[in-house]
Amino acid sequence: MSIADFNGRVLARVPRHDFVGRADELDRIVKHANAQSGRGLLLLMTPSAGCSELLRQAYDRLFNQQSDVIPLYYAFTRHETTAVSAAIEFLQTVLQQYLAFRRKEPALCRAPLTLQDVLELAPSSDLEWIEPLVKMYERIRFSNDNRALVRFCLGAPQRIPARSGKAFVMFDGAQLADDLNGSVILGAELLRVFGRSGQSFVLAGLRRQILDSARAAESNFELLDLLRLEQLNAEEAHSLVDHVALRSKVVLTSEVRDLLVQQFAGSPFFITNFLQAAREKNIALNTYLDCERLYVDELLGGHVNHHFTNLLEEMAPEVEKRVRLIRVIWEAVAGDEKSASIEGWRRRLEVEPAELENILHHLHIQEFVNWTGATIDATTGSQTWKDYLRAAYRLAIKADPRALVVAETIAEALKRAPNTMARHYKQSDRIDLRGVVGAFDCQRVPALLFDYDPFRKTYKGLDDAELQSQLASEANLAKLPQTVHVASCYAFDSATRKAYDEERCVVAHAFEDGIYTDAQQTVWLIAELEAKLEVDIELAKTWFDRLESLARQNDFQRHQVWLISNEGFDEAACEFLRQHAAFCSNKRQLEILIQQIGATSAVQPAPVEAPDEFLMVVPMGEENELLAASAVEQIARRLTFPPQAINQIKTAIVEACINASEHSHSPDRKIYQRFRVESDRLVVTISNRGIVPTNVGSNNAHLSKQESSDATAEDRRGWGLKLIRSLMDEVEFERVDEGTSLRMTKYLRTV
Amino acid sequence: MDISTGATVKSHCVGTTAIVYASDYLNKLTGEKIERECRRQLDSGCRALVIDFSDTQLVNSIGISILLGIIDIAEKSGAQVVFSDVNNQTIQLFDMLGLTRHVALARNEQEALSTLSGFNSTPTVH
Repeated sequence: MSIADFNGRVLARVPRHDFVGRADELDRIVKHANAQSGRGLLLLMTPSAGCSELLRQAYDRLFNQQSDVIPLYYAFTRHETTAVSAAIEFLQTVLQQYLAFRRKEPALCRAPLTLQDVLELAPSSDLEWIEPLVKMYERIRFSNDNRALVRFCLGAPQRIPARSGKAFVMFDGAQLADDLNGSVILGAELLRVFGRSGQSFVLAGLRRQILDSARAAESNFELLDLLRLEQLNAEEAHSLVDHVALRSKVVLTSEVRDLLVQQFAGSPFFITNFLQAAREKNIALNTYLDCERLYVDELLGGHVNHHFTNLLEEMAPEVEKRVRLIRVIWEAVAGDEKSASIEGWRRRLEVEPAELENILHHLHIQEFVNWTGATIDATTGSQTWKDYLRAAYRLAIKADPRALVVAETIAEALKRAPNTMARHYKQSDRIDLRGVVGAFDCQRVPALLFDYDPFRKTYKGLDDAELQSQLASEANLAKLPQTVHVASCYAFDSATRKAYDEERCVVAHAFEDGIYTDAQQTVWLIAELEAKLEVDIELAKTWFDRLESLARQNDFQRHQVWLISNEGFDEAACEFLRQHAAFCSNKRQLEILIQQIGATSAVQPAPVEAPDEFLMVVPMGEENELLAASAVEQIARRLTFPPQAINQIKTAIVEACINASEHSHSPDRKIYQRFRVESDRLVVTISNRGIVPTNVGSNNAHLSKQESSDATAEDRRGWGLKLIRSLMDEVEFERVDEGTSLRMTKYLRTV
Repeated sequence: MDISTGATVKSHCVGTTAIVYASDYLNKLTGEKIERECRRQLDSGCRALVIDFSDTQLVNSIGISILLGIIDIAEKSGAQVVFSDVNNQTIQLFDMLGLTRHVALARNEQEALSTLSGFNSTPTVH
């Protein structure tokens, strides 16, 4: 079969246009091959980030390029048991792929050829090096010198004559190379062979393992480039889910898609396997419930279970030891043990030190634990790993009934799902505090960007253009320090993890004027507070004390506290913070600062089913609620609602839109509106994606005049729903997996 | 008579009374503009505020909560507040949220000014 017949695919399992994300990484590998610099490229993969398809795509691109770069791809597998057998398999692969490339026949890559077949298929011009190679291989193979045989096989690409091109070898699954039995440690050996070959190559595998191998082989890191392969970002992962679902003909909603991305933390490996399971079982993923049922199936018996079980079997082949291992790890996870002792684990696992070391090494390279040599932190694994462990622990150790484990695991996953999404939406909606502070580099900015009270008095109520023009004439400027390091507060005080949101509370080490002396060194402690209204003195004081305490604990000599909240701080809070020389800003001040320093079944509308139904989607903000109000006014007039009722409906819709915009952290920033006209009523449904508000389900939200205007300022901002309930005849939250869907009905009455 | 359109909110003074005009839609943005203008007028010596709603067609709850804030600010400054020319639907909302217990309503500006002169001669009851 010729290249044309393959439509460009040689080893790749998905067409190029279906290969999502990793575009930069793919380019980098191909460039590395074409540069022929003689350098190695270590592809350091986060566990389950998936690099095999990336390498196969690179192979195909190089194959189709048909330049003087001869692509060779070899993946270590669990089927090979010894270094020798893996090396022999590598030799066979090199020869077949070379022939496929030379003859432009992709099918030869996968054909079941013997060495004799290779000789027969080789072009006559290549026989002069392939024939001696095969003969020498036959001789060394029976010499009982395994190391010589392994080196000979690994050196095969170097025997390709320069006139035929330059071999570019890509090794995949390198972490498996060191687990092969025998006297030769293959991972280190191939780094030695290729490190001295002068040929460009790629070694891909788990990041911790690859770096260990490179150190063990005493590699010259000056001749090695590193390419880190993390999980996909949210956008790429969304695209991957969409592509795989389409290819697998799996129906899924955008809510489920987003949940999968968050639940599997953007892991292509888990996402792909999960959707494959949905295809195999012919399951549509329309709701969180569909999703979590399949997830638990997968944890207890599907691809996900198979993956983790295999890894544990490799670490502890004997069943009893494996069960003890599950117990020890799960108990450490459940007990939130961040620094368990090695000796404690050894005693509980009942293993010798060498065996324990081997187990810990494997747990560490899979990033199930962080093993520093002295202590073990078992809390670092992914959520999927922890879910698997817990289920395995309950079944194998506690001997809980399987049905109970299944039911409770589904329930737990369902309860967790909205929180997972809420956390994600809040994070997406948030200003990147680290990025902002990290961009401080001695810029001069108006000093009142750090002092809310005068800012409020001078600038609150101005529109953007007016504000910018007036700010430009601010004479009192402050010079920012130069930030040299930013980290979460949590990194400085892990004991109080719950108090600090990792992204909303940061510590920045900096130097005034960019002068690196003790006198100029300073530390900024910054927290973004969550409050709907101006922060009062109590909350401001709590956070000020918390950050001051952190400064004392860490012996920060010169430091600056800076508190930020969406709506700023009330007068008493401002006064308190001023007295303590702390800065305070609202979100608008922060946004201006960013500009100045140059830092840089969802509620998708279902099709309209009835002729008397209208659908409208408006972006949040920009007073777009008025468009909705105006549309409903026209519709209500057709039903001959009296003017007063029309105004009530309009006000209710405006309130519902404001609620959706203000509190949802919606990912698409859209409000979906459905107006249904019935003979005696108008039914309006306002929906949005995002977090599920806490007041859903509350039915006691009717207004009473006595409590309304006397309410505190914070309560006043919760008036929207109460107002809606008072203005409309029926108000009900519809059940949705995420976001809100509020149905409001107004009856037509004769006035 | 002193006429000003500071921060896009129209206002003018009649003696020590500031008359501030609300726009057609009272929300957070326009509410804050009114609040800003009221603060400015109080800082420059006004002793009473009339907020004119003759153009106002629609109000939302955030706008109303800002109006309550303005009433608080005026109270702290010892100033009276009257809302004038409020349409029936808006009165219903103000009533629903208890706003009418804290502020006098007048049919128009003239009536508002008369009401205020009455306040000046009799003790205020809130």
